[in-house]
Amino acid sequence: MIKFLKTAIIVYAALLVQVTVLPAYIADPFKPNLLIVVVAYLGLREGGWGAALAAFFLGLIADCFSGIYLGLSAFSFLSIHLLLRKVADRLYTDSLYLMLLVVVLATVVNGLVHLVLLLLFPVGAGTYATLLAGLLPQVLVNALAASLLFGIPAFGVREEAR
Amino acid sequence: MWDLLRKYRVYVAVGVVLLAAFVFYSLNLKNKEHANAFESGVLNLMAPVAGVVAGMNRGVTGVWSDYVDLLEVRKENKQLRESVRILNSRLLDAGEAILANERLRKLLELKTSLRAPSLAASVIGEDDSPWFKTIVIDRGTADGLREGLPVVASDGVVGQLVKVTAGSSRVLLLTDHASGIAGAVQRSRARGVVKGMGGGRCSLDFTLREEDVKVGDTVITSGIGGVFPKGLPVGEVTMVKKGGAGIFQTVELRPRVNIPRLEEVLVILQEIHD
Repeated sequence: MIKFLKTAIIVYAALLVQVTVLPAYIADPFKPNLLIVVVAYLGLREGGWGAALAAFFLGLIADCFSGIYLGLSAFSFLSIHLLLRKVADRLYTDSLYLMLLVVVLATVVNGLVHLVLLLLFPVGAGTYATLLAGLLPQVLVNALAASLLFGIPAFGVREEAR
Repeated sequence: MWDLLRKYRVYVAVGVVLLAAFVFYSLNLKNKEHANAFESGVLNLMAPVAGVVAGMNRGVTGVWSDYVDLLEVRKENKQLRESVRILNSRLLDAGEAILANERLRKLLELKTSLRAPSLAASVIGEDDSPWFKTIVIDRGTADGLREGLPVVASDGVVGQLVKVTAGSSRVLLLTDHASGIAGAVQRSRARGVVKGMGGGRCSLDFTLREEDVKVGDTVITSGIGGVFPKGLPVGEVTMVKKGGAGIFQTVELRPRVNIPRLEEVLVILQEIHD
């Protein structure tokens, strides 16, 4: 219960920062997507269908503040989580560099899933140009944000010793 | 058959879950401009705190810009250091009030010039994705708003309300790919549809090749469709291309409104019908 409350507070704070604070100081597309960082962390470190449900709900919450297509980020976050759950057992999930790589790949997958879903239905025509142009900056800033967040000891991720 | 399902039950479960999520997304496409119970709940939960944080952001930005300016003056002129220190404290109080006064005065001029009733609102949040363009304002159904109402600023058109909840609403900006506003070139009256292109730009689509459109022309709302009042500034033409075999020309616009710096908007409460 305490873990759930802590996670809920972290998600609420991340969403508040992303929607209200970051737009005042950072221009698109250099605003990091903190929710993808949370989904990547959940995918590698938390198991079970509860975590998958959490990823789906994180996506729904992201959709409440992003675009007008409810279910778009929910589907992409769920896909990312299930993909990561499949490979998490084979990875050394305590490594900071691995977590950063996962965040980078999660950002790319999120962008591509959005693109496919928007093109599958006749909505958001022309979004592909904006989406593809914004993908690389998003990848870089998400990796930067993840390196800062995962540097916090509470996340239990450590830099490998040289 | 059952043995096969039992053997691959994890994959089947994953497939079913993904299919359910996909169906959920496709079903919600029909109602993409309306906020359902979940969206209303999340927006109502976030809006009050987002409003407070947005106010704090504006204070921090004002203090920082005043502080940097005054530091440079102090370095350049030692004699004025004491008076600058005194003026600094007064500017910190008055500077933000003056800027807010100017913005609100322009908004009031626009409000009185519009024949329809309107409601002022503050911007409290922005879209958290770089490829969609929406903002969150601090007014909702409790203030008489509903989906589809036009939103303007003192410089021109901002967008249209989508996803309205009790205490907040989301505005689909004119630069979003899903946005479409009936427009006309002010000089030649050539008509078209202003569509968002992302990246802070718009295009004027479906303008016939033989229509007279030049770089620098102002595009205004045409009033067709009954959403936006006629004559509101939308943007300025930045590129015209008539090449190719199509019957339409390619026209790009730069919106009149400086969207990244938008702090207050006006929601027009009546939909204007032709």
